[in-house]
Amino acid sequence: MEPEIVKKVARIARLQLTEAEIGEFARDLEEVLEYFSMLDEASGAEEYDFNPVKIQDVLREDSVGQNIDPELLTRMMDTYEEWVRGPRLI
Amino acid sequence: MDAAFLDRLKSLNKKYVIFSELADDVPPGSSFEFHFSAKDNLCTSDFQTRAGSRILEGYRPPFDATPVRRMREAGGLLVGKTNMDEFGFGTFSTNSGYGVPRNPFDADRSCGGSSGGAAAAVCLLDGHVALGVSTGGSISCPASFCGVVGLTPTYGRVSRYGLVDYGNSLDKVGILARSSSTLGKYLPIIAGPDPMDPTSCSQSRLLLDRVKIESIAVPEEAMEDIHPDVRIAFDRAVDTLEESMSVKVEEVSIPSLTFALPAYYVLATSEASTNLARFCGMRFGARGGDVTQHFNDFFSKTRSENFGKEAKRRILLGTYSRMVGFRNRYYLKALAVRQTVIRDYERVLKDHTLVATPTMPFVSPRFTDIKRMRLIDMYRADFLTVPPNLAGLPHISVPCGYADSMPIGMQLVARHWDEGVLLSAADSWEGAFQYRFPEAI
Repeated sequence: MEPEIVKKVARIARLQLTEAEIGEFARDLEEVLEYFSMLDEASGAEEYDFNPVKIQDVLREDSVGQNIDPELLTRMMDTYEEWVRGPRLI
Repeated sequence: MDAAFLDRLKSLNKKYVIFSELADDVPPGSSFEFHFSAKDNLCTSDFQTRAGSRILEGYRPPFDATPVRRMREAGGLLVGKTNMDEFGFGTFSTNSGYGVPRNPFDADRSCGGSSGGAAAAVCLLDGHVALGVSTGGSISCPASFCGVVGLTPTYGRVSRYGLVDYGNSLDKVGILARSSSTLGKYLPIIAGPDPMDPTSCSQSRLLLDRVKIESIAVPEEAMEDIHPDVRIAFDRAVDTLEESMSVKVEEVSIPSLTFALPAYYVLATSEASTNLARFCGMRFGARGGDVTQHFNDFFSKTRSENFGKEAKRRILLGTYSRMVGFRNRYYLKALAVRQTVIRDYERVLKDHTLVATPTMPFVSPRFTDIKRMRLIDMYRADFLTVPPNLAGLPHISVPCGYADSMPIGMQLVARHWDEGVLLSAADSWEGAFQYRFPEAI
């Protein structure tokens, strides 16, 4: 696999890779994708689902509730007064 | 269960590295009926939940995962979180960010993965019950390598609320113990619908009545590339099934099993690459650095510094498989192959009570041998455990023999929702075969 493709995939996946990692992952991905290409020979069913067993939709009326105290959630985050701090967007 | 018991756990942990975190003390004035552990990808309010990853360092969830909560409500003392491959990515538990768990039968060998710490804990502690999680074989594999019994229930049988997801269409919470009777005692506690996980709400009733095992199918595709020691032990087990348990054993063909492994790795890495997008230095565990950075740099830096090599590799593989131009070739084809595998199992399980194979193609390897393994050979080592996991079918691994004192496992697969049949079979098996545990313990 071309190192340029690995760089592109890494950029999409938000990973910064060193040159050594790019070389190593290029070889790894090539080997594994070659193995995946076996699937070209497989006869797949015409229908498929996203779960291996039938899952019925579970619907309910919306109701107001609070299962977890927001203070507990923000305890894990970088906060400033009552705000959560994050990196700049633009 | 007292301070002396916890001291013993600490001392065992120094040697075997099976817990990533242990309880400091037993809550005063409380009484517990049993002790249990939870794999470190199950959320717990009183321990960190790091799923074997440095990116979750310091993460303490504000709630318990449903299976953990139900075990506590049944009188269980949670003694610790068991060590595992990072996010479940591995076959040998060598991809943990918190040390490598060692096999109680031989400390130079692997516990298996990814629930390696869970299997070793059960092997070392009589009466212990461990909550494990399987995506592609992470309960069966370590159960086989550590000589214990590991049950992976049907997809959707046990709520996954509070599980750090790996592959949503594949993840199952299960149990490891020293005997099937212990599994039968605790499965009803963790099973059952949970409104917090819609996939658990379509399940049929859990029936644990004793069932006679009439016939077992052995797929010929599963018997290729098996180490001779494992083959000998499995063949002897089949003889025991026929002679001591009067079970009819028949060789069958399930051609689609050949394609289960690549289909699994496409689906598992695709789902993992999206699930791991949430770990970016803001909400969980490791915090990103300078907030004046652009978000792309902020997220990328945290992820690059804290994900291990196998996590990065699987994120890259999954991201690539879902990219425009490859989605039909890989992802959608893998979904179609999964459906074929399910239909093929259903066809065989119409005429047979169970499908049996060895659990792993070899006994637990030494760490020095694992270092020399090629990546693709590591992935291929899962070719026996992946098919029932891909198909969401319940399965159990039981010890069935020993080679040079190392345990060998046999895996039994049943129809969707038939955990009771598996436990009946394992219970009968235990009447005909004696399990061994490391003498020194």
